[in-house]
Amino acid sequence: MSLIQRLSPARFLRGEGPEAGPGKLRQRRVFILPTRQGLLFAVILLLMLIGSINYDASLGYALTFLLAALSVVAMLHAYRNLLGLRVDTGPAEPVFCGETLRVPVSLENPAGQTRFAVSLHFAEQKAGQGRVFCDVPADSWVRVELPLSARRRGRHALPRITLATVFPLGLFRAWAYAEFDASVLVYPRPARATPLPRDSVWQTDLSGDGGQGADDFAGLRNYQPGDAPGHVHWKTLARGQGLHTKQFGGDHAEELWLDWQATAGDTEVRLSILTRWVLDADVAHYRYGLRLPGQTLPLAHDPRQRCRCLEALALFKGAEPDIITLKEYLG
Amino acid sequence: MEHLRQALAWRWRQVERPQLWLLVGLALALLPHVGRLPWLLILPAALLLGWRLGFELKLVRLPSQMLRWLLVGLALAATWASYHTLIGRQAGVALLVIMLCLKLMEMDRPRDVAIVIGLSYFVVITVFLFDQSLLMGGYMLLVVTLLTTALTAFSRASAKLPQRANLRLAATLLAQAAPLALLLFMLFPRIPGPLWHLPSDGGSASTGLSDTMAPGNISRLSDNGAVAFRVRFAGETPPQDRLYWRGLALTHFDGRTWRNPNETRRGLDVSYDIEYTATGAPVDYTLTLEPHQRRWLFALDMPAGAPPRSRVSEDVEIIARDSVKTLRQYTLRSYTEYRLGTGSAPRDFAYLSLPSGTAPRARILARQLRAESSDDADYLQRVLDFIRQQPFYYTRRPPLLLDDPVDEFLFDNRRGFCEHYASAFTVLMRAAGLPARVMTGYQGGENNPLGDYFIVRQSDAHAWSEVWLRGRGWVRVDPTAVIPPGRVENPADLERIDPAYAARTRETPDWAKRLWRQMGFGWDRVNNAWNQWIIGYDQGAQRGFLSRLGLEDVDWQRMVGLLFGGLGLVVALIALQLFRHRPLRRDAVGEAYARFCRKLARRGLPRKPAEGAQDYSQRVIPRRPELAAQIQHITLLYQRLRYARAAPRDGLRHLKQAVRRFRP
Repeated sequence: MSLIQRLSPARFLRGEGPEAGPGKLRQRRVFILPTRQGLLFAVILLLMLIGSINYDASLGYALTFLLAALSVVAMLHAYRNLLGLRVDTGPAEPVFCGETLRVPVSLENPAGQTRFAVSLHFAEQKAGQGRVFCDVPADSWVRVELPLSARRRGRHALPRITLATVFPLGLFRAWAYAEFDASVLVYPRPARATPLPRDSVWQTDLSGDGGQGADDFAGLRNYQPGDAPGHVHWKTLARGQGLHTKQFGGDHAEELWLDWQATAGDTEVRLSILTRWVLDADVAHYRYGLRLPGQTLPLAHDPRQRCRCLEALALFKGAEPDIITLKEYLG
Repeated sequence: MEHLRQALAWRWRQVERPQLWLLVGLALALLPHVGRLPWLLILPAALLLGWRLGFELKLVRLPSQMLRWLLVGLALAATWASYHTLIGRQAGVALLVIMLCLKLMEMDRPRDVAIVIGLSYFVVITVFLFDQSLLMGGYMLLVVTLLTTALTAFSRASAKLPQRANLRLAATLLAQAAPLALLLFMLFPRIPGPLWHLPSDGGSASTGLSDTMAPGNISRLSDNGAVAFRVRFAGETPPQDRLYWRGLALTHFDGRTWRNPNETRRGLDVSYDIEYTATGAPVDYTLTLEPHQRRWLFALDMPAGAPPRSRVSEDVEIIARDSVKTLRQYTLRSYTEYRLGTGSAPRDFAYLSLPSGTAPRARILARQLRAESSDDADYLQRVLDFIRQQPFYYTRRPPLLLDDPVDEFLFDNRRGFCEHYASAFTVLMRAAGLPARVMTGYQGGENNPLGDYFIVRQSDAHAWSEVWLRGRGWVRVDPTAVIPPGRVENPADLERIDPAYAARTRETPDWAKRLWRQMGFGWDRVNNAWNQWIIGYDQGAQRGFLSRLGLEDVDWQRMVGLLFGGLGLVVALIALQLFRHRPLRRDAVGEAYARFCRKLARRGLPRKPAEGAQDYSQRVIPRRPELAAQIQHITLLYQRLRYARAAPRDGLRHLKQAVRRFRP
């Protein structure tokens, strides 16, 4: 880092850009300035100095100087309180738009003294919102969940995190920025209860899943290695009849296509409706698939299907679908 | 009763501790002002503090905004009623105190807290405007620690730390700040104040001598052991009977009271050239004057000049530019043998005037004695003989003088203190046409054997006369000194009358008294050092200090350079100590055991990576049976230190020792 880069005001305001791994707060990343209280304190110190000069009060000088020295020491302590901390983030659980993401942040303190009252917040959050305070004991680490309100769907780069402290006297605020090469996923906001597109529910595909699902008990078959232990019929084993595996019938599973075409409104409204359908279909144990303009997710029902669908909805790029509808309409 | 106690205990736990630190710190900071500020302001301040505490205990609510403004108005009115002004030292401090306590009524935002703590620090400095003694300094250090603790407690916001840790943190911060503060104190360029003229305080009580002398004025000081000033002589100490500390000349007499005319007749700021010949060796000394709220300074009779920021008056008084409100230190040269005003007779008739009708009997006596004597000097001697031969007594409790104090004293009571003698003697001189004036000041002093300096106390206050004689000029005459020791009522006063006699006759005090006296000297010495180095540290002392370091004639630019250089160095040292990489506490047990393994490895028996201590020892012992006992001992110690529920006493030390002695 050249001197010009190092002194650039942009670095002062925005930090140094994202990085992949855990970030250690080195000297050049920790900034410090007096707080409003600190400035007030300075004004009072100046008045005290003037008073001491005017009244020739030697102890007045002594007190003024002691407090001035105290603030200098407090500055060093505030700086030290952040210096050397290691910051890292983990993946945050995706949430729906309008909810709050909880971003796990770990703070590691490799030094021999406790870091007190370190505050963390996302730099873009409004002042005082979503601020988390923690103490990090010596040679230890803490994990906090930093709230981040999800305002737009999609995959977003993790915003800059500000670490700050006014410890020990509140006269100086030391702060540092941590920026990570990580992202968070925000699903579209689910629409209010919207009935599932019933007309497509009964278009069942009779091939079924060959009894691998877990919905309706269909009978027992001999155990084969690899069968899930939860499906083993322990009662027959207890009766001394050998290992059997419970079989579930999926042949009567209801299948459901969630289709962009079945919705109306602008892109976000349609995505909201589809999101609601995905949630409802998942709860109702349907086998469902998602048809989006330019993208189709095949029928399935497993825990990952919900995530796949929601992610596709979250990342959906608009614009095209309307033209397609128009083309279909025209011809 | 139990119920009440529990309820109170519960409320006490509800109080937020940062607030508590602040309230206690503020209350202690205000305590020295009790008695100095009028009750009209102290009581409301105490009530407001109590109100805030009640609020913290969730017993009362804070006043509404309307009520707050009303209280502000009342506070202003009370201050005005007490001082008839809102500025100046006393009124300003009173206003600060009451407004600060009012601020407690609205202290919810961090900014309010910062203001309250900052102004509490300011209250500490206002105490120093009145009292800068060592005890007060120590007390205020405690207050500052409490206020700093409040600051740490507030800034910790979320941290739930035991409050003792906050106190320790504040103390640590202050201790780390101390060297920096010391450097600033020594090197920060001292500007001789004041920056602007200070409004004079009517309220502050002066101590010690006043500028008038009526019967009873000085004798009221005779029991006052407070220190008036301290003196360190550069060379030989003059003999006790030469230690007349000159203060004010009183020239105007109204029949009862002697007055100093400086305020009315002559300009205080007119400087006079004194006709003055030194006949003996000079005496150099440094005098540290306790604040007495008056403008005059004291000097050994007869001063050769005036210290900075002061002038010599016509009557050779030293008048300072401002009244002495803080400890003042100055270096002077005096000549105890001198001739003053030997030329023409003083032109001023004030030295001769007596109010008509007063002291008729004294005038007759004067005329009679003057007629009998050959010249003025002879007359003076005859008056002294009169006092010595007639049954005059020296007493601290003279009888009340009603109509004509001089006549009643000279002819009826004949019992008096120095002021009676000086007054009557001066009247007798003037009655015979000799110019004379009363001098007030101090006489003598006590040598502190532990510190090699003199302590002059208020009880040493004294009055004597100065008489102008043709050819000899102004001559100091102390009529009290001629009284024979036998007619001194209080043996303690013998020191003043006849030091030699007093020394001969003084009964040897018992050991407890001696010890007490010795402790008194020790304490005074500490105070003196405090005064010399802390309170009296001004521009001059700063120069002296720097020249002692080998830095002569430091101009202020160099001083600032020096200051910042020093500050940088100290800050760097503190930072170095703070930021030094502290190695984590290592695994001493593991290290000792690793050393044991390395020793065996050098003999070709390395421990396998996954081999436990037990397996390792079992594998090694058959190969080196002669070491079996040692290996077993070390292995057992290691295992117990590692895995036993309670580690053996001194186990680590034994393990280290065993490993050290282990030589495979």
